[in-house]
Amino acid sequence: MARKILIIDDEDDIREVARLSLESVAGWDVIVASSGAQGVARAAEQRPDAILLDVMMPGMDGPTTVHQLRNNPDTARIPVLLLTAKVQGTDQRRFADLGVQAILFKPFDPLTLSSQISGALGWN
Amino acid sequence: MDSQAQPGAQSEALSQALDRLWVRFLPEIMERVAIIEATAAAMAAAKSSQSERENAEAAAHKLAGILGTFNLMRGTALARDLEGSFKAEDDRVNGEYIASLVARLRELIQSRKSSS
Repeated sequence: MARKILIIDDEDDIREVARLSLESVAGWDVIVASSGAQGVARAAEQRPDAILLDVMMPGMDGPTTVHQLRNNPDTARIPVLLLTAKVQGTDQRRFADLGVQAILFKPFDPLTLSSQISGALGWN
Repeated sequence: MDSQAQPGAQSEALSQALDRLWVRFLPEIMERVAIIEATAAAMAAAKSSQSERENAEAAAHKLAGILGTFNLMRGTALARDLEGSFKAEDDRVNGEYIASLVARLRELIQSRKSSS
C-alpha cells in the first residue's frame, strides 16, 4: 500500500516540486496544505503516515504547527519531518528540541527526497 | 522506493516534469529577484526602509530554498549570501554589493537550460 504524506508549505514552488518528487519517484499519495492551520486540519482529517513541514511560514509557523499537531490526540503520533532552508547550528538545535523525527534541508534533491524520508522514518 | 520504474527512465521523466515546473514558477522566482534588486537600489541611495529590507531578506531566503532544487546550487549559494547581506551596517556600500550579487543571480537564473 502506498504511503500517504502531507506536505505543509506556504511556497507553491517548493510544495509542487516536493509533490512531484514523492509521487513520481516513490509512488506515494501526497496531500498538501499551504498554511500551518490548514495543515493541522488536513492531518486530522486524512491521518497521513508522515508530515513534511516547512519551518518559516506566515501566521502559524512550523514549530507552532508541531505543537498543535502534538496537542491533538488524532495527530499526536504522526511523524513530522521539518523542511528548512536555515542552515545555522543554533536554528537546527532549536528545531531538534521540538521532538520531530528529522530535519531535512532546502534545497532538496527531488530524486532522493523520498529515500531521505524513508531513511529517517525507518521505512526502508 | 515503491516505484517500479527503471531508474534512468524515472530520472528522465522527473527532469522533464521539473522543467515544466521551472517554466511555471519562473515568474514567481523573477519577482523575488526584482524585490531584491529594488531594495538594493534603495539601499545604495540610502532610501530603504526596514520593512523593505526584511521583504528582500525573505525573498532571498525563498530563492535559496528553491534554486538548488532546480539544479541551480550556485544560485542557492548566491541567494544565501544575499540573505545574510541585509544585516550589514553601511546601507550605501551594502546596497552596491547586493546589487552586484543579485545581477549575477539574475544572469544565472536566466541562463538555466532545460535538463531534457
